[in-house]
Amino acid sequence: MSMNVGGDKGAMSEINITPLIDVLLVLIIIFMVITPLVPKGLDALVPQPNPDAEPPKQDVVNRTVVVSIEDEYPITRKVKINQDEIDFRLLGSRLEDIFKTRSERVMFVRGAESLPFSDVAAVIDVAKGAGIDKIGLMTPKMMDGN
Amino acid sequence: MKWKAPPVNGEINVTPMADVMLVLLIIFMVITPMLQKGVSVDMARTENPRSMADADKEDAILLAITRDGRIFLGTTMIQPDGITSGVEEAVAEKLDKTVYVKGDARAKYGDVVTVVDGVRAAGVDHIGLLTDKIETEASPLEAAQAPVGSP
Repeated sequence: MSMNVGGDKGAMSEINITPLIDVLLVLIIIFMVITPLVPKGLDALVPQPNPDAEPPKQDVVNRTVVVSIEDEYPITRKVKINQDEIDFRLLGSRLEDIFKTRSERVMFVRGAESLPFSDVAAVIDVAKGAGIDKIGLMTPKMMDGN
Repeated sequence: MKWKAPPVNGEINVTPMADVMLVLLIIFMVITPMLQKGVSVDMARTENPRSMADADKEDAILLAITRDGRIFLGTTMIQPDGITSGVEEAVAEKLDKTVYVKGDARAKYGDVVTVVDGVRAAGVDHIGLLTDKIETEASPLEAAQAPVGSP
């Protein structure tokens, strides 16, 4: 006399790996999507010293736009376009207004040293969004004039 | 003699596929960290970046600034006063004199400016500030109200 276990269907000895394959497929797709990420970034220029020591003409100086970000920016969220203080949210539209009539879209950014880099990057980002293609970074050495 | 057919097995044998997938997965897992050039930093997130495929090239000059103000040229850590000589050397026989600066979002802008000054002294005038793109379709106003990297 023998005990009949499971009849004559045969023992089912295989592990069900279908969920494993599902997980693997998803992981592979994730990795394949991540891999070809092209680095992205914002172009910036660093002006080189003027080769001829002649100072720039007055009208050029008058037209220069410098956006300065001061120490207290993280609290006030205000930046300065030349001397005019303006809220960061309105910076984009203001810059668009200024550069609407200009063919040479050049701007300079000066940031306080204590700021986190992301704040400066955000301002450059807004300027790029306003269509300014040449953004110069002002550095202390440059402002000293060498 | 009567040959009796075995019961029909209607399931696809997925074991070889699982093997292949596992190998592919391992390959991708190994390759992915290698694809990243330079030191990995938590980059600032911006809305209007341009794609800079050149920054991924083998000979791209990449300067990274970490949150604690350390500066890396490629993968080697350098001192602030070594930036100029390092970049000059790297840029010497290159036609495309663009230097890519990869700043951590929380790095002090002063450190970034130090690097930019060093790069400028090396005679490079084009730099690319590498950033991540914000993928969400937030309206500009909302994005401005919650600027990236703010506490």
